[in-house]
Amino acid sequence: MNTLCQGEMPIDTENDIVMARKSVREAAVTLGFGVTDVTRIVTAASELTRNIYVYAGSGIMRWHSINDSNVGLELVFEDKGPGIIDVKLAMEPGYSTGKGLGMGLPGTKRLMDEMDVLSEIGKGTTIRIRKWLRQ
Amino acid sequence: MPNGTVSVIKIRDILLVTVPSDPDDITVSELQEQVLYAMERHSAKGLILDISTVETVDSFFARTISETVKMVALMGGLSVLSGMRACVAVTTTQLGLTFEQTLTALDVDRAMDMLSVAMDDKGDSA
Repeated sequence: MNTLCQGEMPIDTENDIVMARKSVREAAVTLGFGVTDVTRIVTAASELTRNIYVYAGSGIMRWHSINDSNVGLELVFEDKGPGIIDVKLAMEPGYSTGKGLGMGLPGTKRLMDEMDVLSEIGKGTTIRIRKWLRQ
Repeated sequence: MPNGTVSVIKIRDILLVTVPSDPDDITVSELQEQVLYAMERHSAKGLILDISTVETVDSFFARTISETVKMVALMGGLSVLSGMRACVAVTTTQLGLTFEQTLTALDVDRAMDMLSVAMDDKGDSA
């Protein structure tokens, strides 16, 4: 099986969060993820696109399928916002600088198989998440 | 049906609110106000929030629902969250959302039963 699936969309408005959920749902379903994994991936995308909208104002979401020895879906969320001061702290449940619950980042990590956060103060944040398709 | 339609139906003393399947943030925020004003307008005693068509519950949605339940309680109303789908239950729990102090039911039928019992009890002790 060699499903090629990729795309990108800007995150500028609140409505883009809904559009991002739709695109990610479509990609995950196309790749053959089960309903619970689809929900996990879509929820993770919802958390991270909202972070972009709330903290950075705008950014971009990219997604593509991975077809190596393992099949999966990778999503990348990139913004040129203020950056995260302490990434390690931001990954702790309950920590929040904004109006959130502090569940976003640690919760997203639990929903996915892999998560990398790269952030530089004043430059922006790039978050990469992956979910593998178990055959 | 448009994505953002929230339906509010009054049945006896209970408001039945159906949440659309993929609401945007504005719809979720407006739902809160809509529900509170409907409680006031109809002098409702109970609220059923039916989320049986909802496929994604993220932290924003969950926080707004939890808040709404607390606000309804301040107005003397009892809320039941009904119809959470299995995939949503798995996801919200792993995300770390607890919905503490929120009554839940498998479907609207059972939510109605719960509210009638609770409202009868309240009536007896008063």
